[in-house]
Amino acid sequence: MRFPFRLFLPAALLCVSSVHSEKEPPAVMNEKHRAVLQTYCVGCHGAEKQKGKFRMDELSYTLTDLETAERWQKVLNQINSGEMPPEDEKQPPGDAKADLLDDLANVMVVARRHLGDQQGVITMRRLNQREYKNTLRELLDADINVSELPGDVSPGGFDTAGAGLFMSGNQFEQYQSLGREALDEAFERQAAAGVEKKFHWEAEETSANVRKYVQVEIDARERAQQWQKLVEAAAAQPENSAIMTQIRKESKNDAIFRRSWAKIPGAPAPEGFGFKTEENNADKANAALTPTYLPYHQYYLTYPALDTGAYLTMQTVHPSVLQIGWMTLLVPFNWPVGDYVVRVRIAGNEHATPERRFLEFGIDPRNNGQVLSTHEVTGTMDAPQIIEIPLTMTRKQTDRGDRMLFIREKGSNDTNELTYARLNEGKKRNGIGPELALWVDWMEIERVPTAAKPVAPGIHALRIALDDKSPAPTTPELRGALERFALEAFRGTPAPSSYIDRLLAFYEVRRKAGDKHSAALKDTLAIILSSPMFLYLAEPATDEQHRALTGAELATRLSYFLWSAPPDDMLRNLAKNGELMKPAVLAAQTNRLLDDARSQGFVRAFVYQWLGLDRLDFFQLNLVLHPRFDGSTKLAAKNEVYETFNYELRHNGSLRDLLKADYVVINSVLANYYGIPGVKGDAFQKVVLPKNSPRGGLLGMAAVHLMGGNGERTSPVERGAWVLRKLLNDPPPPAPANVPAITRLAGKVLTSRERLLAHQEEPQCASCHRKIDPIGFGLENFDAVGEWRTEDSYEATDANGKPQPKTKKTWTIEPAATMHKGPAFKDYLGLRDIIAARSDAFAKGFSNALVEYALGRPCGFKDEPLIENMRHEAGKKDLSVREFIHALVSSKEFHTK
Amino acid sequence: MNTPLKRRQFLRSSTALIALPSLESFGFRKFASAAAPATPPKRLVFLGFGWGITTESWYPDITQKGTGYTLPAGLQPLARHKADFTIVQGLWNKYSNQGHAGSTFWLTGANRYAQPGQNFHNSISVDQVAAAQLGRETRFASIQLNGEGNMEGSGHGPGLSMAWDVSGKPVAGQNGPLAAYHRLFSKDTTPIEQQKAMLAQKRSVLDTVLENARAMQRGLGKTDNAKLDEYFQGIRDIETRLSKDEQWIGVPQPNAPMSEPKPGLAGREEIKIMYDIILAALQTDSTRVLTYRQPVSTLLTSIGIKVAPHDMSHYHSTMGEKQEASQKRDLTQSELLAGLIDKLKTTKEADGTTLFDHTALAYGSNIRTEHNLDNCPTLLTGGGAGIKLGHNLVVSKDTPLCNAWLTLLNGVGVDAERHGDSTGVLKELIA
Repeated sequence: MRFPFRLFLPAALLCVSSVHSEKEPPAVMNEKHRAVLQTYCVGCHGAEKQKGKFRMDELSYTLTDLETAERWQKVLNQINSGEMPPEDEKQPPGDAKADLLDDLANVMVVARRHLGDQQGVITMRRLNQREYKNTLRELLDADINVSELPGDVSPGGFDTAGAGLFMSGNQFEQYQSLGREALDEAFERQAAAGVEKKFHWEAEETSANVRKYVQVEIDARERAQQWQKLVEAAAAQPENSAIMTQIRKESKNDAIFRRSWAKIPGAPAPEGFGFKTEENNADKANAALTPTYLPYHQYYLTYPALDTGAYLTMQTVHPSVLQIGWMTLLVPFNWPVGDYVVRVRIAGNEHATPERRFLEFGIDPRNNGQVLSTHEVTGTMDAPQIIEIPLTMTRKQTDRGDRMLFIREKGSNDTNELTYARLNEGKKRNGIGPELALWVDWMEIERVPTAAKPVAPGIHALRIALDDKSPAPTTPELRGALERFALEAFRGTPAPSSYIDRLLAFYEVRRKAGDKHSAALKDTLAIILSSPMFLYLAEPATDEQHRALTGAELATRLSYFLWSAPPDDMLRNLAKNGELMKPAVLAAQTNRLLDDARSQGFVRAFVYQWLGLDRLDFFQLNLVLHPRFDGSTKLAAKNEVYETFNYELRHNGSLRDLLKADYVVINSVLANYYGIPGVKGDAFQKVVLPKNSPRGGLLGMAAVHLMGGNGERTSPVERGAWVLRKLLNDPPPPAPANVPAITRLAGKVLTSRERLLAHQEEPQCASCHRKIDPIGFGLENFDAVGEWRTEDSYEATDANGKPQPKTKKTWTIEPAATMHKGPAFKDYLGLRDIIAARSDAFAKGFSNALVEYALGRPCGFKDEPLIENMRHEAGKKDLSVREFIHALVSSKEFHTK
Repeated sequence: MNTPLKRRQFLRSSTALIALPSLESFGFRKFASAAAPATPPKRLVFLGFGWGITTESWYPDITQKGTGYTLPAGLQPLARHKADFTIVQGLWNKYSNQGHAGSTFWLTGANRYAQPGQNFHNSISVDQVAAAQLGRETRFASIQLNGEGNMEGSGHGPGLSMAWDVSGKPVAGQNGPLAAYHRLFSKDTTPIEQQKAMLAQKRSVLDTVLENARAMQRGLGKTDNAKLDEYFQGIRDIETRLSKDEQWIGVPQPNAPMSEPKPGLAGREEIKIMYDIILAALQTDSTRVLTYRQPVSTLLTSIGIKVAPHDMSHYHSTMGEKQEASQKRDLTQSELLAGLIDKLKTTKEADGTTLFDHTALAYGSNIRTEHNLDNCPTLLTGGGAGIKLGHNLVVSKDTPLCNAWLTLLNGVGVDAERHGDSTGVLKELIA
């Protein structure tokens, strides 16, 4: 009994909250603006003139109904767009106008929230895209791609909000086919459970290819030179001088002149020298004359251990000719679905600096080659290491590309632009190209038999033959199988027998139509997987009164909250025998669920939506400007956000540490990126920071700064708004429509700060930006990919996007600023302290988000006591992240439909 | 199992008995495709382009009203059709507040916050209003098209297409030319008896899940019942479609008047092919109502523009390359539209008139430029709705865009009294 006093039964709570159940105070426009509106508006919009049939004087300052809200919205729009007051009328002073707009915009937000308050009603919801995928995985042990389902972008909320989760006929059909796909996958996995496969590949094959290719390049160059000599000799013949004058005039260089060899009497055809192409044969010969990467390929051959392995480097020529940028392994087409493990024996040599000590693993290297994982190479040439990478192969991986596994050096081949930049950087430095750092001995892939693993609950429930060789089940056997499968799929709710009757009838029709048993069975089970009892999380309530959840409902709500997946046997059993309703048991189960790997379903989905991480994938990074922020680093930066939250959750860490901390939770890729020594391995781990490090907490994370920019430059506005929204729980109103843009500064070369100060000129802009911009200024020492900097520069570009170096302006970043109506700070650390001191606001925003996510409905005024209680309970334990969850799970709201 | 007749007549939903069309009405169209109707039917097409246009160079001068206006730079590629389209200036959706949603409310005019207790609400889109009537006699009541792949950066806002159904829920669409082509023209070579058996099986699936839904429905409160109603509605939509399929069994799919599009087209080429598909759909009378949520993000990439689409629409802050990108986008879009009009004008109907004469086409967005939602860019063309063509029509500022939609609806013979926040038809638009 860890929490004997804090947890109480739902019934006890009813009286606690009744104290707070009066209505939310309505959105009220501050009376202080009446004078301004009276002076500048009522002249035309009063009892006498009533211009546009709009009266300001009758407008209620209390916004309780839609109509009043719409009228105020109109006022806001008109002032924002600059239409009112009309240009030729007297204008209110800037400050008064900015304050008016600020207040009105915020009042509108309150009014909207108020008018949109669901009054605590939780709408029944269907499984969202993620939960649907996870539920199939838990039920069938089948991993399927569900991206064809419509994304659940709930406007302004979480993807758990029932009101925003729709259903349509199209979608029903998608559920049917995806359910069928998952069953196919599960049946195949089941059939292949005992299959063992292994394939081993020695990397010296690549070294041999390099050796061969160097010979090809040398030989081609010799042949091309012979041909060149003869063409030039023919050109030099006196009788050809007239035609040569003509040709030379038309050719701007020698290569183009040689393309006209056919016009020169006596010049030989390149075919004779082995150069055959469809178009102009001279092109191949010309290319062979200057083999750009021959010296680099020869340099490769000077490295040791080529007869036992090969090196990974940048891709030079086209990979169809010579593949050295990555090594591949094709999973044979006839190997079954299931769990595999990939092994690589690898070493780093003396060139494997901390920056160049990472291996990337992925699928489909030629078509955008997404990195799946990154691994630190710690093996040496004397003692290479074996890296093991788990991999799941599914039915969907049918194309060659989908089965082509690759390894490559981190960041070596993200984009062609970046690869060329790296090749050129090496060439500039040593005249040849980048040193080779990673040596590979061999790669292998092995299928891991799963016969020993427990069978997935859905498959286990069937207990009939799944194949077509065994005798088909009798009707009673099939009936039993369908009942048990439905019970499992419906999370413990038994299916009505009339429903099972129809399923049986359907199976029979399919069998009579000539379908084999397994096909008919899968189609029948797919109906179960598209039935409402599977797709919806129902908590029946006969009236609109709030009632306490049953044990089974509580188990489902808890597991979808903390796992985004169905309750497992243990949870369901505890629900069945009533144990789960005991506060101590519930708390222990909450801990068990949070400690289980499935809690990643909660961590990733919640953090992603709470902090708005979708912005990380909104834009293309400029890798030429930011070469260190390669694919692996971006992946690690994104994971840092999840893993830090995860760390707090697992170690009873404080929510405060997300605002400011003297440690970070990183892996070796990020340690290298941030320049933090002493971190080994691929696992994310807590690392204590040196004093005065700008890292630690969300504001020190590369991912957060990446979101606050466009992949090229920073956006102080985006950053300031994010901090207000996510950390300070003081979201600026949505960007207003129809505000005239400031065009005065177009095309001018200015510092970011100079440009943003223009916001202060117009009250329409100042009303929000005076809050947003100062925070953005304080974060300017982080560049667009979160690296620390002290200088910034700006360069105008011409119409084609080409930079104009003459316009370049460089300045020292001045992070000092003053918060609107708040304290001043002199640098980032000062700003961070101000933000960290507002952990109460942060905790409130976090509690709000948790409630909305867990209950699947917007937070309303009536939730204030709940939010307060969560903060209070967590506050007793230094705002421990886990305590917020315990406080929510034990609340009346969590136990109530 | 119910007899097909019984089940088709009444499909019990949670709140109402839903009557489906009786068998008699199914039959009549069966022979219609053999003999073309005497008068070519009316069609309605909506093309939406998310992030608006370049204000300075797309609108004609508002002082040059009527036909004698100078064609602005952004519309120059449409010069050869100047007498055949009308620009309407001054329209807007007064409830729209979302500066990043060019399509969500474009055809609906809805108030996102109209429903107390909900933070997102939408209502039926004008195309679906039309489809309920114009779609009765075609294989597809309406077709919704989207750009291929990720439409994130295209400024359309929430939605699965531009269409929203009668309850304001998003209607899914075909993403990209290949999917659209197959939806319209893929041949069904299955024998008729087997097709009928398959239909029966599909109905049996629906019966089964309905059985389950009804079991679950017991004991649900009002809100949850309304939620489950979406499921019933979904099943009913499939029912309606199956009934329609039944009606079309044995009627061969039309031959596509074009070849299958190549996979992987993006941006300009994609839109061009999609326009051909729209033309083919109209020409074969596969449907009479289409919407197309055009890709903007990939359009930019395909014409060599590197500026991010959202940044482009904010060209006022830097002008320079962003404004030029915006203008280049306008030109490309105008060029593509001009190509479509060419084809509509040259495609003959059975009676010798052209598709253009019987089609009403609207081309525009809820966003003007940047976050501006007033004076929604609106270009109307085609002879289908009997509107004035060749005009620069300046209506009084902040006239509901839905007035234009209502005018088109009435013009193509759909008897609607209002749509969205309409206050009446645009009298000055009627020829």
